[in-house]
Amino acid sequence: MALTLPPDSRTPLSWPVRPGNGLRASHGIARTLRVLLALALALWLVLPLVPLALWAFADRWSFPAVLPQAWGWGGVRAALAQGAVPAFGRSLLLGLLVSAVATPLGVLAARALAYRRVPLAPAVNVLLFAPLALPAFVAALGLNVLLLRVQVPPFAGVVLLLTVYALPYTSYTMRVAYGAHDLAVEEEARLLGASAWQVMWRVQLPLLAPALARAAFLAFLVGWSDYVITVLVGGGTIVTVPLLVAAAAAGTGNDATVALLSAAALLPPLVLLLVLGLFGRRPRSHQTNGDVK
Amino acid sequence: MIPAVRVEGLSKSFPGTGAPVLDDVNLTVEARSCTALLGPSGAGKSTLLRAISGLERPDAGRVLVGGQDMAGVGPEHRGMAMVQQRPLLFPHLNVLDNVAFAGTVRGVAKRAARADAAGFLELVQLAGFGPRPVAALSGGQAQRVAIARALAARPAVLLLDEPFSALDPELRSVMHDLLAQLRRSVNPTVLMVTHDRSEAAAVAEKIALFSGGRMLQHDSVERMYSRPVSLEASRLMGGANEIPGTVRNGCHHSALGALRLPGDTTWPPGPGILLVRQESIEVGPGNGPGLHATVSGLRVLGPRRLVSVDAAGVLLRAEIPWGRALAAGDTVTLSIPTSALAVVDDPDTAHTFPGAEKRPQITVQGLATLASIDN
Repeated sequence: MALTLPPDSRTPLSWPVRPGNGLRASHGIARTLRVLLALALALWLVLPLVPLALWAFADRWSFPAVLPQAWGWGGVRAALAQGAVPAFGRSLLLGLLVSAVATPLGVLAARALAYRRVPLAPAVNVLLFAPLALPAFVAALGLNVLLLRVQVPPFAGVVLLLTVYALPYTSYTMRVAYGAHDLAVEEEARLLGASAWQVMWRVQLPLLAPALARAAFLAFLVGWSDYVITVLVGGGTIVTVPLLVAAAAAGTGNDATVALLSAAALLPPLVLLLVLGLFGRRPRSHQTNGDVK
Repeated sequence: MIPAVRVEGLSKSFPGTGAPVLDDVNLTVEARSCTALLGPSGAGKSTLLRAISGLERPDAGRVLVGGQDMAGVGPEHRGMAMVQQRPLLFPHLNVLDNVAFAGTVRGVAKRAARADAAGFLELVQLAGFGPRPVAALSGGQAQRVAIARALAARPAVLLLDEPFSALDPELRSVMHDLLAQLRRSVNPTVLMVTHDRSEAAAVAEKIALFSGGRMLQHDSVERMYSRPVSLEASRLMGGANEIPGTVRNGCHHSALGALRLPGDTTWPPGPGILLVRQESIEVGPGNGPGLHATVSGLRVLGPRRLVSVDAAGVLLRAEIPWGRALAAGDTVTLSIPTSALAVVDDPDTAHTFPGAEKRPQITVQGLATLASIDN
């Protein structure tokens, strides 16, 4: 029997959100002010990078010259001589390890908190966020003694402590994501024949991928940019980029080296951020052609 | 024949809720039939569906599917699929891959699963919609994709949890027709939760009526309307006429006089409330034959009218079509066919009947429901 269906109304399932419409649109002077403010903010972020970039390749730049008087590779050579490459390697390893440990831990904590499987959930929440309130050097000094007593290798100790400092970021990011995650979709997948593992890999993971990428990025930043814990727990033996920058900055005549290292230190997070922006969005249902492949 | 689904003594409580959500529910559903689980909100219908599907673990009782006890069997191994009020399509997959999901998780090659899915999309009249993202679908289209996705899992039992309640009336009617068509072509056993009597009657052969976690009655659609087993069941089915009286020798004696009861049932003697559907009472002109009554009120019900009449001091309601002019104070005659009559025990005097303990009694939750209906 042929059915007559009503015309395709194309009514979207969710309330249509048009950021530019109605009350949210700004006009006239408000629009001009908004654009000016955005430009000022962009300038504020970019401006400090300009002297860094100039200093990195300046062999001589004395006051009051506006631009360097001599260009060269002196800064690069000095940075390489001071061990910039292995320091970059260590920082990268530290960032990736912290991210690799703190992200799954944050996922577990967030899932448990979001679905109320935790007794005394508010207290656990406070505990998870405590590292943000505790100054890093206090924790590092206190725990350093303990780590030495139980003979934890310095690098493992640094990773351990930095993971604790990254946990608030990963657990909070994932908590927000789980708050918006619909468990009914997972139940639906189970009823369609998916095992618990298949639900995790084929439904939960793709839907939470953007939040996971954000959490991993934040945890990476904690490991990548740490100074205090690496110095105190590492005992000066683990030379990372922040340590190298600080040492160079403490000396005199190292302006080009400091600038080069600082500018180079921006690159890995920037690349990660770009990757996140390009691929870290919720995977959209891809448009295929009409043929069944 | 082994029933498709059998529920035995199923009970379920949730922490923090006083009364059980399901209280000793027994239900047998024949293979390839369509049964509507009907009842007001909070009656336990959806919890029963979730317990049958394996999404909820019952406190007591068991669920048998095809004669096999489902205790410890995961939802993915029960041979069921569910369509809920929200389509719950996977937002990261396009329409075709949503429908192909069940095939791919079963290990079917993606190409074959997609070809199969395209067939099911055609079945729900969405051929060519496969490449679209699910966000581009209208509410009705999304629900049809959800049905196609469920059917593509080849379920022996299709569970529908108020799947059309978010759709407008016109679309709902179309979906009812679509469901009937799908039953003819695919023919799974269907269990559908709804709180809408008309929808239950439109799609199902049998209705299981729930209130306060208990199943009040499980019967054919016609008998659910014509032979409710209790006052509560009658009211939940929309019955509006209740006349107290006594049953003697197959007749009900009340202020309306002696009315012969249908001969296909043995009516136990004793006090009983006569029930007659408002749709079954015919209202004729005042000078015609039948029971004389005076119109006391009129209410418009869209294409029909609900007429309140006073017949020998008894308030009766009759649903009649538009046509003859009627006004309050008019004298009319009522004609009540014998086949439309039924008698239930008055819950206050039920204990006086032999075998009363076996008959469904009104529950505390049921009383609350009735009170809300009265208000």
